[in-house]
Amino acid sequence: MGISQTVFKFLSSQKKAIGYSLMGLLTVGSEHLFSLSAFKCPCSNKNYTYGLVYLFVPALVLLFVGFALNGSTWQLFTGCCVNPKKLFPKGKSCHFFHAFCQITLKAFVAPVMWLSVVLLNGTFYECAMSGSKNLKYLEMLCHNKSNKCLEELPKVACGQTSLSSWETEEILLTLQAESQVVGWCVIVSAAFLSLLITCYGHCQSNTSHLQKRFWKIYTEKEKEQFEKYFEVYATKLSERNLKSFFENKKLEPFPMPSFRAWEEASALDSFNINQQIFSTLHKLVEDSMKENDSNEAQDTMVNLGEGETV
Amino acid sequence: MEKFRTVLDFCLSHQKALSYSAVSLLTAGSERLFSVVVFQCPCNSWNTLYGSVFLLVPALILFLLGYLLNVRTWRLFTGCCAPGRCCCCIHRRRCWRYFRVLWLVTVSAAVAPLTWIAVALLGANFYECAASGSSLLQRYLCQGRGTQCHEQVARIPCGETLPQGAQTFVSLRAQSQVLGWILVASIMALVLTVTCINRCRSPVSFLQLRFWKIYLEKEREVFERKAKEHATKLAERNLKCFFESTEPELFQTPTNKDWQQISSLYAFNTKGQYYSMIHKYISANRGTSIRSTEEDVFSPALGFVDGTDVNETGTL
Repeated sequence: MGISQTVFKFLSSQKKAIGYSLMGLLTVGSEHLFSLSAFKCPCSNKNYTYGLVYLFVPALVLLFVGFALNGSTWQLFTGCCVNPKKLFPKGKSCHFFHAFCQITLKAFVAPVMWLSVVLLNGTFYECAMSGSKNLKYLEMLCHNKSNKCLEELPKVACGQTSLSSWETEEILLTLQAESQVVGWCVIVSAAFLSLLITCYGHCQSNTSHLQKRFWKIYTEKEKEQFEKYFEVYATKLSERNLKSFFENKKLEPFPMPSFRAWEEASALDSFNINQQIFSTLHKLVEDSMKENDSNEAQDTMVNLGEGETV
Repeated sequence: MEKFRTVLDFCLSHQKALSYSAVSLLTAGSERLFSVVVFQCPCNSWNTLYGSVFLLVPALILFLLGYLLNVRTWRLFTGCCAPGRCCCCIHRRRCWRYFRVLWLVTVSAAVAPLTWIAVALLGANFYECAASGSSLLQRYLCQGRGTQCHEQVARIPCGETLPQGAQTFVSLRAQSQVLGWILVASIMALVLTVTCINRCRSPVSFLQLRFWKIYLEKEREVFERKAKEHATKLAERNLKCFFESTEPELFQTPTNKDWQQISSLYAFNTKGQYYSMIHKYISANRGTSIRSTEEDVFSPALGFVDGTDVNETGTL
């Protein structure tokens, strides 16, 4: 095997790790960009609001983007206004919440990364907390400092204060230290929650480890095949239509799945351990097989009946 | 070209050692980055908390990540509390096996956090900051002096020098580095001793162990390939039936019981030379249970069998 092939194989086996690392680097980069270009602490009584906006609003935006970029969100919600019963099918009402929870957890990764990076950096937190309205906290910050400390505190983040340089430095270092400690707490809680949730998911699972692996591979391959079939059928159908349009010929019949078949195939994925069903499409196919078998059995019985009569 | 090929072959044959080295290097690199770019000792009453957080919390995070990203963790926990199955230790032997594998996972997950702590101690920034805020040290250094001395001690990491007449100057950086080296040396000694003992107690010979490791690697690759082929065939059959409304053909796929048998933890038995659960299962009568019997041996030297597994992490 060539070297480039080996390297490519190694990289594609570490897709997840590379993806998360890139996301992390992107977060750090954008935080630096915002910090340098757009962020300017107002150094007034508006510090608290301004700092909190910079801390949480980009996280919210990333959460929405996370929802939007996840294909499962659209699989869940497409057509739900037209047919609300689709969200809670008979016997599977918890399925919607289960799927929504999974989508939400995946969407939370980017906001948590943003929060960790900005808290470890400290700039936004410093600005926010220097304008805090909590008197006890401000007194703790101004402990052992000159009388005008409380008044000058909001201006500390801009360096435009009349306090001595060592007082300013100490306040800034304390705020930065707080920010970084909170940042580490956020990261460790996220890691702990992530481990607990994954553990719970795996422990409760009915399937064995290797069967789960095969299921993931099957889902991937089914997706690829779907794309391939879509392209082939779309090409054939459009060729047929345009040929008939330009050459003014009679339309040849073109078998396609019915509206109901598309609806059924678009339902939420279900993995049935007892019947070894790996996807919604697999279930449809197996069900149709069972229908055909029972129809055949009926026909055979009828024939036998006829035969016997004859 | 030949040289590259030789290097690549070397890398592939020492994958485990290289991957642990890579993890250690990455951890060491990040520690240096954090130490230089992010860490700034506040030089006040926050010192102890700040320094300890930087020293220990990233190690905890790396430890949790070590569990999360280790395949063996999920091999162990998948389905253990499934509905209908008792989540308790009825069979002591099976329980003991689980704890053994869990121990191996813990040891594997401890590499990165210990590297972080060792490199952080050698770098000395975090320890110096944490120690200079500790009330014990402040009391020791400031005997007979006022609270101003305490504040001066807290400012040592920011370059403050103690006034003349203070107790013998204790170099916090030197303390930290000595602790760091002791940690590194003890971990190395422990690892070497434990590996030696495990290898001594190995039920199989050196060459067979070597072959075994290579067999598992190849089995993993072939499993991935065959699983992809099988999945592609099944997907094609389903899609063909969906689009063309044709009758689906019967498709032979392993049953749930087959999957469960090959997913269980490996148990070595001197009576049969089986190199994996798949090997064991298809060699025995298919359909019979191949779970542990009384004669099975669980040697720590064979811990790699449950670890060399398909490329799957359990993360979201």
